Amino acid sequence: MKWKAVRNLRLCTKDCLCLYVCPVGATDTEDSIIDVDKCTGCGDCAAACPSKAISMIPAEMPLPQEKKDEVLTGMRALLEAKSRERLLASALSEEGPDGKRRLMRALEKSFRLSGEDIAREAGFMLPQQEESLNLLESILDNPPQGFPEDSARAILSSFRKGDR
Amino acid sequence: MKYICSICGFVYDEEKEGVPFSELPSDRVCPACGAEKAMSDPVKENMPQSSVAEDISSDNSHDMEKLSSGALSLLFSNLARGCEKQYRPHEQKMYQEIADFFSAEAKKEKAEGDLVSLVNDNLAGVYKTAEASATAAGDRGALRARLWSYKVEMIARTLLSRYEKEGEKMLENTSVWVCSVCGFVYIGDSAPALCPVCKVPSWKFEKVE
Ligand code: SF4
Ligand code: SF4
Ligand SMILES: [Fe+2]
Repeated sequence: MKWKAVRNLRLCTKDCLCLYVCPVGATDTEDSIIDVDKCTGCGDCAAACPSKAISMIPAEMPLPQEKKDEVLTGMRALLEAKSRERLLASALSEEGPDGKRRLMRALEKSFRLSGEDIAREAGFMLPQQEESLNLLESILDNPPQGFPEDSARAILSSFRKGDR
Repeated sequence: MKYICSICGFVYDEEKEGVPFSELPSDRVCPACGAEKAMSDPVKENMPQSSVAEDISSDNSHDMEKLSSGALSLLFSNLARGCEKQYRPHEQKMYQEIADFFSAEAKKEKAEGDLVSLVNDNLAGVYKTAEASATAAGDRGALRARLWSYKVEMIARTLLSRYEKEGEKMLENTSVWVCSVCGFVYIGDSAPALCPVCKVPSWKFEKVE
């Protein structure tokens, strides 16, 4: 498998070894994000970092297993259900006494987290997988007013760089 | 006889406690996770796992274009989280922007209805069909996500019905916590040591202000 280095900015002290050991200068960037185009995946920086701030991750994510149609149908119905619950809890959190508001805010968060987890299993596991990118493209075909089209295009070009 | 909480696995041992389970008040909740009394089942030897033999609805007409704005918002915010885990902050920001757009779209329509009955309908409906289809396909990922969500939903139902009975008193001088991994909601002065649903430690809980 091919690997690449990523840096956890919360752990990094921004001052040391990886800058010197990287043979291709991929670690020395303005925004501290390791340059994926340069990184060869040698792993030297991760081994050298005194703060354990660098991990090696697969350069390409393995494709998630294909889902059966019935499973997709079931999980998407569940996703819609979680969405309705979340929106209702959100509306209810804007009225009434303090305790109720807190409870509804907690439920909104709870339903959102469940819904996001369900979405993964509804066929949209990875941000770079074909289903996710195709969905973005189909929205771009006929975008609703105010849709952030530039961001959608930027995501597409960033994840499709390799094969286009 | 012993009774086990189907949400978190807490065991009530009648012998040790000295009070038969049936004599506990009907509004008694599980001391570990807050699930209602009816969620505990008697422990039987070689307890068979709940068998799901529901007929799967034959309607397989799932259609991507039909996902609502609210569902799209959840889908894209999850892809943003996926980018975060892969250390891709630029893509994370853009996916989140798209999620926020759809969230705002969804909130333009006034959400109406009764949350308790919506939760009850979902527990009796979509959760069952999702379980049946995932079981039939042997899809462990989908089964895991459905089960966590189901457990969290059962707790939500308990809290909603407690609030209907007890009102604001239920939440006076205490805090509301949410597990940031699975969404389990807990009422108490401090977060539980372990999430009863997904087993992450207490620091993964967030206090709702
Ligand atoms: S893995 Fe090697 S090439 Fe990549 S950033 Fe680290 S030292 Fe540089
Ligand atoms: S060696 Fe580690 S802590 Fe030092 S700058 Fe590099 S990533 Fe940051
Ligand atoms: Fe949890």
